[in-house]
Amino acid sequence: MIDVNKKNNNAISYIILTIVSLLSVFPLYWMAVSATNKSVDVTRGTLIPGLAFIDNVKQLFVVQAVGTAMANSFKYAIILTVLSLFICSLAGYGFEIYHDKGKDLVMSIILLSMMVPFVAILIPLFQMISAAHLLNTTAGFILPSISTPLLILLFRQSARSFPRDIIEAARIDGLKDYEIFFRMFIPTQRSTYAAALTITFMAAWNSYLWPTVIMSDEKSLTMPMLISNLIQGYVTDYGVLMVGVLLCTLPTVIIFFVLQKNFAEGITGAIK
Amino acid sequence: MSLAACSTPTTSDTTTKAAAATTAGADETTAATAAAGDNTLTVWCWDPAFNIYAMQEAEKVYQKTNPDFKLNIVETPWADIQTAMTVAATSGDYSTLPDILLCQDNAFQKNVISFPDEYVDLTDSGIAFDQFGAAKVAYSVVDGKNYGVPFDNGAVISCVRTDILEQAGYTVDDLTDITWSRYIEIGKDVLAKTGMPMLSMQAGESDLIMMMMQSAGASLFDAEGNPTIVDNATLKAVLTTYAELVTSGVLVQVNNWDEYIGTLTSGTVAGTINGCWILGSIQTAKDQSGKWAVTNMPKLDNVTGATNYSNNGGSSWAITANCKNVTLAEDFLSKTFAGSVAFYETILPSSGALATYIPAGDSDVYSKPSEFFQGDTIFKKITDYAAKVPKNNTGVYYYEARDAVATALTNIIGGADADTELKAAQDAVVFLMQG
Amino acid sequence: MSKSKRIKLNKKQSINGWIFLAPATLMIVMLSFVPMVRALILSFQKGTGAKLSWTGVNNYVRMFSDNVFMQSLLNNFIYLLIQVPIMLILALILAAMLNNKSLKFKGLFRTAIFLPCATSLVSYAIVFRTLFSNNGLVNYFLIKLGILETGYSFLTHTTSARIIIIIALIWRWTGYNMVFYLAGLQNIDYSIYEAARIDGASTVQIFRKITVPLLKPIILLTAIMSTNGTLQLFDESVNLTFGGPANTTITMSHYIYNTSFKYVPKFGYAAAMSYLILVLVAILAFIQMRVGDRRE
Repeated sequence: MIDVNKKNNNAISYIILTIVSLLSVFPLYWMAVSATNKSVDVTRGTLIPGLAFIDNVKQLFVVQAVGTAMANSFKYAIILTVLSLFICSLAGYGFEIYHDKGKDLVMSIILLSMMVPFVAILIPLFQMISAAHLLNTTAGFILPSISTPLLILLFRQSARSFPRDIIEAARIDGLKDYEIFFRMFIPTQRSTYAAALTITFMAAWNSYLWPTVIMSDEKSLTMPMLISNLIQGYVTDYGVLMVGVLLCTLPTVIIFFVLQKNFAEGITGAIK
Repeated sequence: MSLAACSTPTTSDTTTKAAAATTAGADETTAATAAAGDNTLTVWCWDPAFNIYAMQEAEKVYQKTNPDFKLNIVETPWADIQTAMTVAATSGDYSTLPDILLCQDNAFQKNVISFPDEYVDLTDSGIAFDQFGAAKVAYSVVDGKNYGVPFDNGAVISCVRTDILEQAGYTVDDLTDITWSRYIEIGKDVLAKTGMPMLSMQAGESDLIMMMMQSAGASLFDAEGNPTIVDNATLKAVLTTYAELVTSGVLVQVNNWDEYIGTLTSGTVAGTINGCWILGSIQTAKDQSGKWAVTNMPKLDNVTGATNYSNNGGSSWAITANCKNVTLAEDFLSKTFAGSVAFYETILPSSGALATYIPAGDSDVYSKPSEFFQGDTIFKKITDYAAKVPKNNTGVYYYEARDAVATALTNIIGGADADTELKAAQDAVVFLMQG
Repeated sequence: MSKSKRIKLNKKQSINGWIFLAPATLMIVMLSFVPMVRALILSFQKGTGAKLSWTGVNNYVRMFSDNVFMQSLLNNFIYLLIQVPIMLILALILAAMLNNKSLKFKGLFRTAIFLPCATSLVSYAIVFRTLFSNNGLVNYFLIKLGILETGYSFLTHTTSARIIIIIALIWRWTGYNMVFYLAGLQNIDYSIYEAARIDGASTVQIFRKITVPLLKPIILLTAIMSTNGTLQLFDESVNLTFGGPANTTITMSHYIYNTSFKYVPKFGYAAAMSYLILVLVAILAFIQMRVGDRRE
């Protein structure tokens, strides 16, 4: 009886998942098809792949510094992600494992910092970074985003399921607190780290407003800026634009695809 | 910015700029001495095929007499230029700005009045402002002072598909020097006989409204900067005409820019009325070559001062407070954009970059016939149009007024009472002015 | 089910706790709170650009007579109340479905559903605008199926424009929230499900009585984040509907941006409106935490 139920449930799952997947992917299919067509055909709304892909790619490299933009985007995103994951997971762990009223209060206050639209603090932040002579630098780019309430909260909530008796036992065994964090906590939080890595990388990769304010050098061009340049002209080449957009989208997707086996069930056995 | 000696931020520069920026009217740019042998300028502008290309050619022209001159052109979208200017000026730190930047004509009033120290006063720089169309120069004049060197042409043209018109029994001459009521009459006929609307426009944008207003020399603000949205006979006439265009089906409203371009390239409309820069997009549809013609826009009925000429868009070059070598920048602009017919002749053929420099309009290149437009000498035509555009009063709160009128327009087309909507629009603008 | 007993903290351990969270907290204080205080001070000033003067709480008072701002406030709440619950429930269901050992192609499904949030904003906006344009695919099918006679201009009518934003938001962010739930589900021992099945529980019962309660911490996270994100919504208003038609889809953040950069800069007023958003999100987040943040 369990098997028949399972089969039925699975069938429903497959159907729903397939429909949702197709709906999710369709706009990307449109993007990919547009990247293979000439601009005028894209504006005419064609859904069939064309033959202009190579031309569009070549043209993209002619009108924009694609290599620079990709390199910069990777550089900023990777550095930011590594630092962010480290600092925020430490904090989440601290807030949860050592929780007391004081720490809970601080957590709530920290949450306030994400509730103000960035536009409101843009200029004071700019003035601070400028006064610290960090305009046009990587440090200036990434500093405001390293510590975010979202990540801290994510790690804190995930740490709720980390069994405390293990910590007691480890302490008795003589392990120091930071050793517990690195050797015991991190390995059990693979899925959380994978999620955090993906969304942090994605946010860093797609960030636009702050970079345009603080970087005024063409050598600091990033992919979103490149895309923005492509739609600025009196005439937009939609085919070339879509190639750029595909390039801009791919890294995050690849990272997710690589990491997503961490969302597979059965990792919790690592605790033992 | 690291290449340009002019704009490398250093501690002392930052404090100098901050101090200078807060001193009202201080001529801070001459306080900084030009570094010896410093011959590079940084420019911010957008569009590689048009503005950037023009700057590159200007560089070459200037290098003929100044061989070690160099331009560092950084491609920057307009929105980012505006954001950077606002951030820099508000925080008193101009160090991130370039020497020269391209500024939308409609934004000059707002920027100069909000941040008086941001642009260099060019009135006595020797630049020949009288060689440009008066309406165009007027955009960048604030309190009688010049702040911009005019560049690209936004003169309004009416483009029509002659093959579609022919089917309905009309030629482009029937659409030249006419009134809007005649245009609507012809449009209805074309619609009935071919099923095609004459025009497409983005819904919720007031481009056409502003074009029609300026064609009669009318504005949304008076000379003192007070909003004139209410009790504005011309505006009411414009809105009524627009509403009629929509309800009769002569004008079809589309959702956004890509769709608008799509109507042109897919041939689902018989024409368009827009700034002359629309030619670039029209010509991407190579299979429509020979089927288009250019003429002037209709004029408003029963409105004093109505003409067949107007403007939509366009920008001018401005020198920022961060420029350390203003003399060089002024000389560069003066000898190229404001002085070299050869320059304009070079950039026209490959980019279609139409300028507002009147002497250029007399050159041979500008008289070259365009195959796409049935052998018509469109460049000369458009330069002539540009000289006839009536001046208007942009006003500091231009964008606020534009948006408010666009909202009113949408509601009026939806059936709301015009007077109520216009009052609401004016109230909205006054509200923002009081902040 | 591991009960997290409160571990006894001696003095040294308590200090260690603070050390763990110090770097992140200090950074937020320096890089967020300091600018926020400056912005708060700004909100009590009026004026253009850098020419500011004190005006007390006037900005806060006048925003309630700002028709456009009030409209944007309404718009944000419409999106919040409709879009967020649908999206979170959908994400939960999808995550639960994908947390099934016997299902094949899970990797493909996960990636496909995640793809939308990785898509660059520019392309996603163009795609949606094109899909719902007068000659777009949606109209094409609606006409083919006989539901419509001519193309309906979705984006120029208020209700349909709002629906499109809601659809776009659901399309874009369901996968994002699903990722959080998937991660959270990994911390639940799979044997619990098997035990429940053997006891005869149905899929729906398992979902309601086991999955959801165990995921509460993460659900709370996504609820707070989605509330925050929706009340601060910007991209869709700017790029998809441009705030129209006639301000019926414009969001508060979009209007704040206009007030700062498109129009004559009125940073005092913009700061005041920003703080209103903070108050709204804070109240809602507080309620959500009160209701849902339990340590068992």
